[in-house]
Amino acid sequence: MAIPTKPVSKAGVTPETNPKPKPKSKGSWWQAKEPQRQDNSAIIGERKTTPYVFSLPAILLVAGLLGFPVLWGVWQSLYRRPSLGADPDWVGLQNYADMFASDAFWESLKKTTIFVTGSLILALALGLFFSHALFKVVGRFRFLRAVMIGPYIVSNVAAAVMFRILFNAQFGTMNQALEWLPFVDSGPRWLADPTIAMVTVIFTQVWTDLPLVILLLLGGMMSIDQAHLDAALVDGASGWDRAIHITSPLLAPQILISVVWISYSTLTGLGVVLALTGGGPLKATQTTAMEMYTVAFRNLEFNQALAIASFILLLNGLLTLAYLRIGRKYNYDA
Amino acid sequence: MTDTLSQDEIPADRIAEEPLTAGERSRRKWRPTGSGRATQIFKNVLISIPLILLVIWTVGPFLVTLSVSLKDKVEVFADPSLIPANPSLDAYGDVVRSDSFTTSFWNSVFVGLGTTALTILISVPAAYAFARFRFRGRHLLLLFTLLPRLVPTIGMMIPIYRLAIATNMLDRRLTLIVVYTSMLLPLAVWLLVGFFQSIPRDIEEAANVDGASLWGRLRYIVVPLAAPAMITVGVLAFREAWNEFTLVLVLVNSPGNRTLPFELYKLQGVEGVADYPIEAAFTVLTILPFIIFYTFVEKHVVAGLVSGSGK
Repeated sequence: MAIPTKPVSKAGVTPETNPKPKPKSKGSWWQAKEPQRQDNSAIIGERKTTPYVFSLPAILLVAGLLGFPVLWGVWQSLYRRPSLGADPDWVGLQNYADMFASDAFWESLKKTTIFVTGSLILALALGLFFSHALFKVVGRFRFLRAVMIGPYIVSNVAAAVMFRILFNAQFGTMNQALEWLPFVDSGPRWLADPTIAMVTVIFTQVWTDLPLVILLLLGGMMSIDQAHLDAALVDGASGWDRAIHITSPLLAPQILISVVWISYSTLTGLGVVLALTGGGPLKATQTTAMEMYTVAFRNLEFNQALAIASFILLLNGLLTLAYLRIGRKYNYDA
Repeated sequence: MTDTLSQDEIPADRIAEEPLTAGERSRRKWRPTGSGRATQIFKNVLISIPLILLVIWTVGPFLVTLSVSLKDKVEVFADPSLIPANPSLDAYGDVVRSDSFTTSFWNSVFVGLGTTALTILISVPAAYAFARFRFRGRHLLLLFTLLPRLVPTIGMMIPIYRLAIATNMLDRRLTLIVVYTSMLLPLAVWLLVGFFQSIPRDIEEAANVDGASLWGRLRYIVVPLAAPAMITVGVLAFREAWNEFTLVLVLVNSPGNRTLPFELYKLQGVEGVADYPIEAAFTVLTILPFIIFYTFVEKHVVAGLVSGSGK
């Protein structure tokens, strides 16, 4: 947990009484979380079955509804129904071959790349900018943090409606503001123009994702050792210099985690695209996730769609690996 | 270190003292270091510009939506200014009177509360087992924390849909509750494990010596102490159920079982000229209950949100 307002203090338990974290061990980074006491069953008088009974419902539910369906889905991507309602036939990797042979798939991959890259750039730029600004006033303006969380508690559909209104070509505030400028005749048709629709989608996606990025980066800034900044101050570094050359490099783990997290959320995110544009206009925002949804629930080719879903899962698995590596490298626990 | 220094005095032996994190330092001495009133005012302005931008960025879309919801259908196009000339609550009246809103609102409340209750009911004992006991399968905890990351909603969509058909659970609110709970459990268990481990074992051992049973300890020690973490888990669960959109679109069909995001999505998909005030009012009424609820528990939740961000 990166924010100093840990719930621990609220429970009236002082940190001093906590079990001290295990000194550097050869275990993985996540194992550092475990209490170091060897007698883990030290609370006497327990039946051996208690922990199993306690944890079984959770394990069953997660295995049954998260683990199993995905494995089943990957397995089913090797089958195909000759016609709707017929029994599926084993086709091996044919669904994948068809997927890679399809123009729509490659086109969607291109769109996804733009979507992920654009969101990364915008989210990191805004995230660093806003978290630096918030950091300067830490302790004051507490309401700002509460306000800043706002987009996080809004559903994707609600965000889509809000941005559809904001970016409306005729009465949207965005175009009203643009047309107020002397050199702009009429603002772009944000959602109807295939070349610009993706920009609108990126804006909306980043708007919904930014609160967590800001909180993550802000938490990282709060934990930076002040001595580094003092030294730079003594050497005469300006505020901007310190932000660029000291704070940002020391934020590396949080920035990397943000990168992984935004990539994850845009690569696998369907809600914003579906609710805002539905992949249109002219498939301009048809990302791979959206392509999967179209193939499955509009064309009803479920097995073909499962091949696309498995492909996304594979990319997502790579992201998870990156996440774990970052966690291990910096001993960072997000 | 008790802070008896005045705020703008920088102690000469700062380096000799125990190092402060940047966060602590900022809180102690936030005033700009310039000399003279004019410089200070200038620096304050300079600092506040990004903050104002942040507020505009965050609140802007809300305000625009609120503004449209107070106009009527024609006025939206005729008068695009932010402040409506003659605001009316007609759109809200229409939305609140419509079946689609009332039904989906109560469905959302039902699914939200159900998910919250089930998540807490299942995650608290599981987290307690992971935190306190040494047992086979304890290391599933890592898999637990990683699963939601490995399994995004997009990967679950089709399999869960087929599974729901196979078990005749399609188009039921109960299905939504169970599915959302399973999605929330890893994060909930992970948050609670961290919290339970921070509760000193000695307290429980002392209670045990005094004759408290396992249930007694859970009831009178663990659960009361873990209340803040449980509130966080509850809010996260409720938020997920209240806002989730892609799975409900797939799992539910009939109007009687839809939740708010589904109904809002349907609303904007209706053919013909979109009725923007109705859409905007519906959106505001979707967000408002959660904002009200959230403001009451905000200070308990923020820490949990950050931990959840990595998931």
